[in-house]
Amino acid sequence: MQRRIHYSIALLSVSIIAFQIALIQILSILQWYHFAYMAISIALLGFGASGTFLALFKEKLINISDHILPILMITSSISMALVVRISQIDLIKFDTYLLFSESSQIWKLLLTYILFIIPFFLSALAIGIIYVKFSESISILYFFSLVGSGVGGILIIGLMWIFFPSEIPTFIAIIPFISGLLLIQKKNWIVAIPFIFVALVILLFSLNYPQKLLPSQFKSFSKTMNLPEAKVIEEKNSPYGFVQLVNSPALRFAPGLSLKYTDTLHSVSAIFNNGDWYGPVLNPNSSNQFRFMDFTTQALPYYAWENESALILQSGTNYRAYYSVLKGIKDVTAVEPNHTVVPLIENLIQNTVNLESCYGNVTVINQSTRTFLQSNTVNYDLITFATIGSFGGSSGLYALQEEYDITKEAFFDAWNILNDDGLLSLTCWMDYPPRKPLKVLATLVEMMEESGIDNPSKHICAIRSWSTITFVVKKSKLIPKESTLIRNFCNDLSFDIVLLPDLENSERNKYNILHDENFFQYIDKILSKDREIFYQNYTFNIKPAEDNRPYFSQFLKFSHLKSLKDNFNLQAIPYFELGYIIVILTFLQIVIAALILIILPLFKLGWKGEKKSWTVLYFMGIGLGYMFVEIVFVHRFILYLGNPIYSATVVISAMLISSGIGSYYSDRINYVKKNIKHIFTLIIALLILYPFFLSPLLDLTISYSEPLKFSLSFLIIAPLSFFMGIPFPSGIKYLSRTQTKNIPWAIGINGCFSVFGTVLATIISAELGFTWVIVLAAFAYCISLLTEIVHRLS
Amino acid sequence: MINLIVITLLLMILQPEKDPYSEQRLNMVQQQIERRGIKDKATLESMKKVKRHLFVPEGFEDYAYRDSPLAIGYGQTISQPYIVAYMTEIIKPKPSYKVLEIGTGSGYQAAVLAEIVDSMFTIEIIKDLGMAATDRLQKLRYHNVFVKIADGYYGWEEHAPFDAIVVTAASEFIPPPLIKQLKNGGKMIIPIGSPFMVQNLTLIQKKGENITTSSVMPVRFVPFTRKN
Repeated sequence: MQRRIHYSIALLSVSIIAFQIALIQILSILQWYHFAYMAISIALLGFGASGTFLALFKEKLINISDHILPILMITSSISMALVVRISQIDLIKFDTYLLFSESSQIWKLLLTYILFIIPFFLSALAIGIIYVKFSESISILYFFSLVGSGVGGILIIGLMWIFFPSEIPTFIAIIPFISGLLLIQKKNWIVAIPFIFVALVILLFSLNYPQKLLPSQFKSFSKTMNLPEAKVIEEKNSPYGFVQLVNSPALRFAPGLSLKYTDTLHSVSAIFNNGDWYGPVLNPNSSNQFRFMDFTTQALPYYAWENESALILQSGTNYRAYYSVLKGIKDVTAVEPNHTVVPLIENLIQNTVNLESCYGNVTVINQSTRTFLQSNTVNYDLITFATIGSFGGSSGLYALQEEYDITKEAFFDAWNILNDDGLLSLTCWMDYPPRKPLKVLATLVEMMEESGIDNPSKHICAIRSWSTITFVVKKSKLIPKESTLIRNFCNDLSFDIVLLPDLENSERNKYNILHDENFFQYIDKILSKDREIFYQNYTFNIKPAEDNRPYFSQFLKFSHLKSLKDNFNLQAIPYFELGYIIVILTFLQIVIAALILIILPLFKLGWKGEKKSWTVLYFMGIGLGYMFVEIVFVHRFILYLGNPIYSATVVISAMLISSGIGSYYSDRINYVKKNIKHIFTLIIALLILYPFFLSPLLDLTISYSEPLKFSLSFLIIAPLSFFMGIPFPSGIKYLSRTQTKNIPWAIGINGCFSVFGTVLATIISAELGFTWVIVLAAFAYCISLLTEIVHRLS
Repeated sequence: MINLIVITLLLMILQPEKDPYSEQRLNMVQQQIERRGIKDKATLESMKKVKRHLFVPEGFEDYAYRDSPLAIGYGQTISQPYIVAYMTEIIKPKPSYKVLEIGTGSGYQAAVLAEIVDSMFTIEIIKDLGMAATDRLQKLRYHNVFVKIADGYYGWEEHAPFDAIVVTAASEFIPPPLIKQLKNGGKMIIPIGSPFMVQNLTLIQKKGENITTSSVMPVRFVPFTRKN
């Protein structure tokens, strides 16, 4: 039976992590990135809730554990197969955009939380019962649980390549069903049969009829599907996202088109990733389809300069690469991280044209931008970045999305591989109040100054249409002949010049008149010595994003909320930074929920008594510390591995497997206070050391092959995680010998603070940067260490 | 006696149905629109007259006069009352005007303009929204509003040129056919922003071959930096 319990707990843990990562993708498709993390954080409260439930009903649950364990696992399987389906019912279906405009959405959000908590609560309760019942073997059990979780992270990557997102939860749901079957004893079969039957029916039904995922009506995919004759031509899933190729005769693309353009705009196909716009598919066979590009601000570097080679970063659907060839550039390299997009486009295009013969000189490289920039040794005449922002803005939904491709370091890497007279070109949607163009300029200027350029204004030009602004930065100084060409281009197409070395003020607001001319003052301030004062005083955060805080789209300053409220009404504020506001709300909800879940068991356990404060502080410290480290690693390794899902999987799997081994080892060290004190000291020392060597090590090896980087990631993460896996089982084992009734409460505290730590780490990362989160992780472990020392002295 | 009863009954029948939202509507115009600087009398009168609560989804009537947009399905919204008033005022509508609207949505903006102008042409690309708006506008007897379910990119050539074009369903480019269909001296207005927050509006003016755009702000942003 012991062995069966080990296998069962491992399988259950496989399913929990796999289901969690699958939900992140599904919720990113249905809603947005931030909502996925919010729902997962809340769902993980299921762990905390299960601890509280177990603390309240420990005796009863342990008495009937032989019966209830398989049933909990089988019902967890049923709920995993059903929750996504149920969340799509109109009564429950929640929409982020409507949260601040329809009061019913608050209830829908609450129902969504409850729904997603169920599978986690049931699984965690089963694990909790096993931990309490066999607390003397906690190290082995924890080992199997953590290793299972690690394997779950690897499994989900495989599933994402094979199945569509809607199919994955059912496949995962089979796993807890098996783990439940493993624990059914002969005497319990009769009780279990109805549950087995229901689970089989639901699993078979869900396998045959997977739930169709219906993204928010405000997502660009949904809006496109409202167009006449819109249809999905092809779709493919992978860890890079759920990619859909859509076609409609009413789908057109011409961002910020000059009003001088009088020709027809042809309809195009388009690619969507996780329901978000990814790019248009233009047919390189038809130069007509590209004609509109000559009438956009993006055409400036092709009009005013003759370039021999071009590097197209975040090339997406490659239309900028094909345009570059069309404009006579002989050597074009396109870098695109998403492995599924390029084959999809090439399949579509090759049906109508021989790509090789027309565009043989486009080299497409499937790599993340930063990996390419750091490993590349060739220099280019022109480097272009993808357009920043979206038409009309996105209400700050991407505020907490890591954007390593537009940090100061990314611009620096690109600058370093430019030829002597090379150009960086970057287009951005105009917004109001101005934010994105200001941050782009600030990033470019700081990057140039740090590269040794004395007067960046001699190197930059910027032009503006009615809705876009394009910055072109030249490595050498701009010369008069170039200024003349830029002026001609703008006059021909009714664009305004925002920046040029010999610019006159009257040229800035000629064709596309900005009634609020402060924009130009802001631009000038960024180029002046008063830049830092301007950063401080401006209502929005326009300081350049850096690798340590890679949130380009995060503009909200809490200290300036009043100013926003005075300018706009209170109701408008959430729509400036919806993503960030929702994370803050999540944090507040978690604080309330965690407090309730931690305090509730005290009514049964008693408020006073031995080891109460020790239990709270010890398990709080290790819960917070562990999650702080995990979140920083997940964010930091996105840059290294080039993809959030890969990063989450590698980090979570590496951490859990290593911690599992640490837990196994903890059985040997036994619970000797001296030993555990040394372990804590070691963890704190490693955490203090990590910021010093992590970034240089990752930068040094970023150009290595993917398998090698995965292995290196494991080696970097493993030592710290090994030791971080020891305090939890040691603490539980200590309680099992001294205060058994506190064990479920301790599990609950650890669960609650793990969730708390997840969201808090994200907020601290955005406000202060990753380094501070690591410092605070060390501080959290210090709390546990101090608790140990004080406990020993007392 | 019978006469008296008949007269009383007739009076009861003929008495116009009491509008439960009339006070809220008046309040909306005074507090949200006039106070923010909308002065055009025709616009204000029209906003007072058009029953906004009949243009919002069923069950949301009580929210109709709030100072915010409301979702109407298909990822579309009925704009905040102030934005509707601002867009109406800025094109300076006259009784002789022929106006084209791209993106009928609920039909509210068309109804507001129809109270002022001679004829109002409106195009909706989403069939269900277009049919519902047609039905609603017919029931409310807006006989000078003409709804077409089609791709707004092409405009409505048969009725061109237009004195003004209101593009409520903004796109990232201004369709060239719309520029062609704008009368010389005409104005086109496009709101720019996410579904629940119009941040600025682009006004396009056509004077012969000369076409200019200007970015006008319904809400002025006054940052701290001005003090420095």
